[in-house]
Amino acid sequence: MTNPLSPTPFSRRTLLRGTGAALLAGGLGACAPGNTTGSNPLPSAGVTKPPSGEITIWDRTGDLYKVFDKAIASFTAKYPQVKVNHLAVDVNAKLPATLISGAGVPDGAFYDDALLTGVAPHLHDLSQLIEQYKSDIAPYKLGVVTVDGKVIAVPWDLDPGLLFYREDVVTRAGVDPASLTTYDALLDAARTVRDKSPAARPIHLENDQFLGQLWVDMFANQQGGAMIDADGKLTIDSAPYRTALTWLDKVRSEGLGTLAKYTQPTDLQTQDNGTQVFVPWAQWFVFTPQQLLKTSKGKWRATTLPAWQAGGARAGVMGGSSFVIPAKAKNPELAWRLYEHLVFSKEGYTTVYGPNQVYPGGLNTSIPSYLPALDPDTPLFKPIGALGGQDLWKIAVEAGKQAPGGYTIPTWWGKAVDYFGVNVQKLLAGQLTPDEVLKTSATQIQKNLMGPS
Amino acid sequence: MATLTEAATTRRSARPVRRRRVSAAPYLFVAPFILVFAAFSAYPILFALQLSFTNWHGAGALEIVGLANYQFLLTSPDFWQSMATSGALWLLVVPAQVLLALTIAVALRKARFRGLFSAALIAPFVTPLVAMAQVWIILFDKDFGAVNHGLTSLGLPAISWLTSGVWAKVTIALLVLWRTTGYAVILLMAGLSSIPSDVYEAARIDGAGAWHQFWSITVPLVTRTLSFVVVIGTLTVFQLFAEPYVVTGGGPFNETRTAGLYLYKHITNSDLGLGAANSMLLVVMVLALSIASIRLLRSREDS
Repeated sequence: MTNPLSPTPFSRRTLLRGTGAALLAGGLGACAPGNTTGSNPLPSAGVTKPPSGEITIWDRTGDLYKVFDKAIASFTAKYPQVKVNHLAVDVNAKLPATLISGAGVPDGAFYDDALLTGVAPHLHDLSQLIEQYKSDIAPYKLGVVTVDGKVIAVPWDLDPGLLFYREDVVTRAGVDPASLTTYDALLDAARTVRDKSPAARPIHLENDQFLGQLWVDMFANQQGGAMIDADGKLTIDSAPYRTALTWLDKVRSEGLGTLAKYTQPTDLQTQDNGTQVFVPWAQWFVFTPQQLLKTSKGKWRATTLPAWQAGGARAGVMGGSSFVIPAKAKNPELAWRLYEHLVFSKEGYTTVYGPNQVYPGGLNTSIPSYLPALDPDTPLFKPIGALGGQDLWKIAVEAGKQAPGGYTIPTWWGKAVDYFGVNVQKLLAGQLTPDEVLKTSATQIQKNLMGPS
Repeated sequence: MATLTEAATTRRSARPVRRRRVSAAPYLFVAPFILVFAAFSAYPILFALQLSFTNWHGAGALEIVGLANYQFLLTSPDFWQSMATSGALWLLVVPAQVLLALTIAVALRKARFRGLFSAALIAPFVTPLVAMAQVWIILFDKDFGAVNHGLTSLGLPAISWLTSGVWAKVTIALLVLWRTTGYAVILLMAGLSSIPSDVYEAARIDGAGAWHQFWSITVPLVTRTLSFVVVIGTLTVFQLFAEPYVVTGGGPFNETRTAGLYLYKHITNSDLGLGAANSMLLVVMVLALSIASIRLLRSREDS
């Protein structure tokens, strides 16, 4: 009879050999690089079979998650055979690592447009599916979700730049808001406001390197510029950027700007106390007077951006998000069906933007990028109390439709923040001239981000 | 020559083969640790080492680029700036932390309510960092922060705590000190409690004053604990990520982009080969700094 506790004898050499083999096998196996090709193919555009199955969808934490939760419910009500595991995740932080590791990859995720190109190799090519909607997507947005000729995300929102201003302060200073049609006129208005109130630093100057780059990009985009041209050639050292930076430098050197990071204490306090009066920013600035400002709530208004030259474009775009379907998604077809419902069906985009429990007046921080949804006379969200009851929908739609197209985000946009974003920060601190910013940034980007490596 | 070889072979084969048999039990007992260590420590390190010689971006085939990543980093001003930032923070944090922690630990050695003080000291360490970082931003705001309000009411000039490169480092260092000093105090209190009281008694009989006792007894006998505090402090500073990420985002002008934050940027940019090479360089530097610190303290202990 064998003792069950007696150990099975084997040699030390056998043990070491076995361990070594296991480690080697594990090591080699695990060293195999990730696969970019989705194992589950997407359907062709013509598939009509009712969808069924289970998907995992990631959305940004916070109110937006709650809004999408309701919108997803409208999808599952339409397709009861589908179960959606809707998760609130810090998507920007978690998605890149998840896509690389391939573990726990969601079927779809909400993701910042500015960061899209960085994860492009890990996403499904949606070109064929999007084809039928292409002519109905805002040209700017279509450019943003297209990388190397492939559509890599379902375009979600459009974030037109607008000029937000303190109506009470501006009027008290004797400035007619309707006169703010050019950036030179805005500069004059800022001087007038400061003459009336010497403590005023009327124009916002963004001091965060990431947002600063996004902000200057909006000014350049308004003039039809971008960091690269359609052939991928670096075009940062060009007139649109020079014009924008020269203007910002003038604001700084004349002491007309409040240098602050978006929604940080200095920013909020100066907006509330009336020393910061003009904020040229994306539509999503409207969140600030609604949620963060106290005494100035209701005193803010919005208008289209001033033009860089009289009669020029009054719109640019700053930020935005889209929906991505990872190449390693288990059920990409269902994810596409969900996003198709949210973006391209009236029921979907109305559920997201229309009045709901989270936003009783509707979601007003952006507008859809789907052009049929942008009817100025059929607003999706209501006039905004924090803007004195102003109908922001009409202004945003007008601006959104004007946003110049043909914009391309370079794959290294996020990495360029360390160079261009930081150099803009130095300009606003008076350490670099506009020319130095452009020449230094162009050299740094060419060497570190576009070089042979 | 051939004859000698044959003879040796004959002698070897004539000896009875004795294969040492060993029990599997000890190996089975340590197997869980070995497996976990292999999966979560050895393998990631080896894989990172392998990655550091490639230009892998998380997808596609691994393309070997030799030492190119190391060459890029070692000649990159950005890399050296991040190392210099971490070095500056090390100088701001570690010596101050050791001094503060030792002073507090000695002061608390015979204090009443030691348990209460210990709990209070460890509180910052367990407080969610992101929440505290947000408080820091509000406290140190140049125009509306409480700290500058205090300074100006004393007739001192307001400081650009978060918008000047030098002061932003100080602000981050203060947050790190606030968060981690309590933990160092707890460690040193444990070290102090292991010093026999009769050593102090003998010193007192010999006429040694409090200061003399501190330098001649306390400090030498807690040197090992101090070494540990220094190593932990060094690791903390060189891996520092969350504090600059939340408080300054690495700015202004990348002046608070620590080695940890610079490494994180490679990962989020999907530059995994570069990130792995950066990790390896960081390991070497942290190891060198830790060993140098320990040697320095040990030499004092020996003398």
